[in-house]
Amino acid sequence: MDFYLGLAQVIGIHTLLGLSAWCVLHTGQVSLAQGGFFAIGAYAAGMLTSMWGWPLAAALATGALMAAAVAVAVGFPALRVKGLMLVVATTAFAEIVRLFFFNLQWRVQTPAGPVGPDGSLGFGGIRYFPSNGWTTLQVCILIWVLVAAVMFMLWWLDRSRVGTVWRAVGEDELAAQSAGINLTAAKVSAFGIGGGIAGLAGGVFAHYATHIEHSNFSILLATFAIAYPIIGGLSSLAGTLLAVIFIQGFLTEGLRFIGDWRSLLFGVLIVVVMLVRPSGFLNRSLGRSLGLGRATATPQTGDATRGASTHA
Amino acid sequence: MDLLNLIDLAQSLIDGVLFGTTYSLIGIGFTLIFGVMHKINMSYAAASIGAAYLSLMLVSLVPAPVVYAGAALIGGVLGWLIYLICFRFLPINNPLATLMSTVGMLLAIEELISHLTLGMPQNYPALFSSTNIEIGQFFLRGDLIFVFMLGCVAMVALTLLLKRTRLGLATRAVAQQPVAAQLCGMDVNATNAGTFVIAGLMGGTAGAMAGAAIGVLSPLMTLPLTVKGLVVTVIGGLGSIPGAIVAGLIVGGAENLFQFMRGVSERDIYVMLMLFAFLVLRPGGLFAAPGGRD
Amino acid sequence: MLELKNLSRHFGGVKAVDQLELTVRKGEILGLIGPNGSGKSTTVNLITGVYQPSAGSVQFKGQDISALPPHRRTELGLARTFQNIRLFGQLTVWQNLWAARVVREAGWAGFRERWLSGAKAAREQAEELLVFGDLAHKRDMLAANLAFGEQRRLELIRAAASGAELLLLDEPAAGMNAEEIQDLDSRIRRLRDQGRTILLIEHHMELVMEVCDRVAVLNFGRKIAEGTPAEVQQDAQVRAAYLGTDEPATA
Repeated sequence: MDFYLGLAQVIGIHTLLGLSAWCVLHTGQVSLAQGGFFAIGAYAAGMLTSMWGWPLAAALATGALMAAAVAVAVGFPALRVKGLMLVVATTAFAEIVRLFFFNLQWRVQTPAGPVGPDGSLGFGGIRYFPSNGWTTLQVCILIWVLVAAVMFMLWWLDRSRVGTVWRAVGEDELAAQSAGINLTAAKVSAFGIGGGIAGLAGGVFAHYATHIEHSNFSILLATFAIAYPIIGGLSSLAGTLLAVIFIQGFLTEGLRFIGDWRSLLFGVLIVVVMLVRPSGFLNRSLGRSLGLGRATATPQTGDATRGASTHA
Repeated sequence: MDLLNLIDLAQSLIDGVLFGTTYSLIGIGFTLIFGVMHKINMSYAAASIGAAYLSLMLVSLVPAPVVYAGAALIGGVLGWLIYLICFRFLPINNPLATLMSTVGMLLAIEELISHLTLGMPQNYPALFSSTNIEIGQFFLRGDLIFVFMLGCVAMVALTLLLKRTRLGLATRAVAQQPVAAQLCGMDVNATNAGTFVIAGLMGGTAGAMAGAAIGVLSPLMTLPLTVKGLVVTVIGGLGSIPGAIVAGLIVGGAENLFQFMRGVSERDIYVMLMLFAFLVLRPGGLFAAPGGRD
Repeated sequence: MLELKNLSRHFGGVKAVDQLELTVRKGEILGLIGPNGSGKSTTVNLITGVYQPSAGSVQFKGQDISALPPHRRTELGLARTFQNIRLFGQLTVWQNLWAARVVREAGWAGFRERWLSGAKAAREQAEELLVFGDLAHKRDMLAANLAFGEQRRLELIRAAASGAELLLLDEPAAGMNAEEIQDLDSRIRRLRDQGRTILLIEHHMELVMEVCDRVAVLNFGRKIAEGTPAEVQQDAQVRAAYLGTDEPATA
């Protein structure tokens, strides 16, 4: 039973990660920075509870807010570029965050001994859950309550004008500008909200894992983050959830049968899925017929440099 | 800073710039593919390292230069394969799908390498590794000079290919106007495949060069090489080959400079910050493609 | 209402727009015509802010807007349609309208209108526009699935949806048959009668001569004639540029 609860926890956390990427992808921006915001949330929330004894809710909220604030700050310069350049910029940002935490050393004395991030050794001793007697089931429920809340918020945003504006920006930036939409505000708001959600996910992850280190927050994680909405189909939130279940289930179950080769097969799996169903599981038509999806935009990665050509 | 430190600094810089041609080649590969298909091939650096690995099979059979040539050729073949798997059959107006597909490919290649080599770094043949040229207080490492020369040869060959052959002409035509190119009788698929092969040749060479300069090949090299390659592409300007060349040298030099000043673990932070500075100050890159009339 | 003062835009050595002086008076329908490559589209892009001027300025309602970004200009009351339709294809007809900046007030009043009263006034205006465009029955259809003529109508009402006082119509008649052009003619008049000013860029001479109060003619980025449709039709330079003379063309 514990095994399945553990799986459910992982799926929940990754769903949050996927939802954070969904947000940003909706405005047509491809961001590999979600791992960085995840890390910020993780370290911040972890430090608050284990080093200064904050209550969990406050720590999680603060972690999410900090991640969101950084997202907005980074968003302003980064979102001035589009397409490939944005991919690179967000990748670079994520690497900066990871390396920052790799070098971070800050420990305080607690009754239980020194606690805090210790450079390359990582950050252990985030023992809020065990110290306060949380069972695995309770943690699992917490995670899924958060997932449900975030999904509801995103669903509501999507139905409101905010969602329409985001998707208009994702469709055609020039037309959106001409229709009076403030591009920067739209993109930065999506980026910021996505960052906050990733930060929340990170905070939960830190407490669930009790020990975090820089290698948890590599570009691979960011790749997972955008893989979920893309494979699940950008039309619907449910698609992201399905993709997480599918992929994480595959990877975890795969561990049993094919052991170490599962990452390789994951890579192959992605390639195959893209060949077979490039717009994702629940793409627009399937989503609508199931009553789950709404119309969506296909982000334009190459749009910024439509005029650019190879010249020697 | 006293004179000794200054010399060490300059030495670092020189070494970095020489190695920078490796980054230039990777940057050229990314920019070439992006310029033609307006899509990113995230698996490019991984395929390059993969080609170098595969060329290891030749090591006991032929002398080192042939091994390098082998890496280049294998890189070309891999490039063609990636085109077939990740680009040929995917819808044109869905760049996200190819992005994910190539990411999947990147993962697959990296894992494959890890498994087949059991995670052990493999020695890669270097040439002139024991030769050093002394110029005043500076040592120019022979193997780095060789790598630098190899890089230059590759870039010259590429320029000739693009400017003097029909394939090169077709590549540039398709990049600028794919529909019109088709109407002029060019086979867009064949041309795109050709571009990937050319990029693959560059990549295989770069992989060999990286192995030769460092002395070993390791699957841990793929991700940093991918990131640095992308940084080079962006700094140089998307779609600009001269830009990628210059940017590669800059990144190579800067990298060593930062390492000298702040150590290995903080080095990459500054490289990334440098990228951010470029994005803010000069988003089009060094040699931005000229903006045309709408 | 709109004034272009000594407006120029160069691309490298090419003078796409060269020292253009143009005034659009409030409530009029001004036509802008000229052969291909004469700088009409560039002028539109300069007015809407897609391009920055190399020299000169764009004044709107007495204010210099030359440095403002496009969405700010729309906020001030300037809107455009696109030559090659740029609808939000994956959004419905209603959503295309709704995405436009329908709530005009900024600051606290805007906040109140948008979030607290559910943007009621804006919704009503958008509904009226839907009816005006004869698209009310297709409000939930994806824009990409509309017929060509319907898409053009949606472009038109979307530009009006942002509450614009000056509408820039960039070749709205392209690809239309005679009946659709008649329809367009009457819609443009009605839009003007509802209190807007229209700048019409077009190639269809009949439409321009029919619906415009005044016409300006561009050639090689410069204005070569301006006046009523009748006056412009008689102008020798215009005839040389458009209709050609018996001598061999001088590029």
